[in-house]
Amino acid sequence: MAKQIDARGLACPQPVILTKKALETENEVVILVDNDIAVENVKRLGTNLGCSVDVDQPEAKTFRLDLKKTSAEEPNACSLAVEAALAAPATGPLVIAIGENRMGRGSDELGYILMRSFIHTVLSLDPLPATMIFFNTGVKLTVKESDVLDDLKELEEKGVKFLVCGTCVNFFSITKDVAVGSISNMYDIAETMSKAGRIIAP
Amino acid sequence: MDQPEDCDVVLFHSVTHAMKAEKLLKAAGLTIKLIPVPKHISSDCGVCLRFPREQQEAVVAALEGQVDIREIRPFC
Repeated sequence: MAKQIDARGLACPQPVILTKKALETENEVVILVDNDIAVENVKRLGTNLGCSVDVDQPEAKTFRLDLKKTSAEEPNACSLAVEAALAAPATGPLVIAIGENRMGRGSDELGYILMRSFIHTVLSLDPLPATMIFFNTGVKLTVKESDVLDDLKELEEKGVKFLVCGTCVNFFSITKDVAVGSISNMYDIAETMSKAGRIIAP
Repeated sequence: MDQPEDCDVVLFHSVTHAMKAEKLLKAAGLTIKLIPVPKHISSDCGVCLRFPREQQEAVVAALEGQVDIREIRPFC
């Protein structure tokens, strides 16, 4: 009654894919593979799907794995749940990454207008971003003469955190002029980006 | 800066007009802020200049003959 699969000669991840597919409809799958990496991968798949796994080696380059579903959940339901979890929107803070003091390409003058408008409208976002990161020419928006200083200050008062790249303010020689947020470094910036649920890069 | 309730906005015929007006008004030392046109005024994309109401005369005077004003409306 077991489904027999001969996966010898097939490249990774074929053995795992074939096994998974078979287990969607079969209660027992016997699969032949020819290398021990495939053995490990198929064994792990079986265990994750709640199967008992027996392995033996009938020949020099032939490993046979016998996967039997145990009473536990249907692999179908299990893999569906995993897929659903992967498809769900990422949770985590909203981060806005401002890498330029302009928005879009083609006209610097228009771009600057757009970026100023964008920053102004961030105030009406719900929820507000958790963090705004400024780097490259974006740091120029944070100085005391900035046209958007009032908007940034209001965002800061409302709890938005600003990370202003230290390398960049140094490069543009404006370290003393930064009027909002805190001078940060690439470690914090990279970490903030990696932990974000979504990153908006206008 | 300025309380929204006490502000007006001056609307222009194009973004380029607004940009030119901004430069003129800044050069005249007036307190203005370039913002997207508030949604209750227009749903089209565009920018306008917001200023404290008491500066209205000065704003109009500075733009006289230089940039066509489309309309002045209260901000709120």
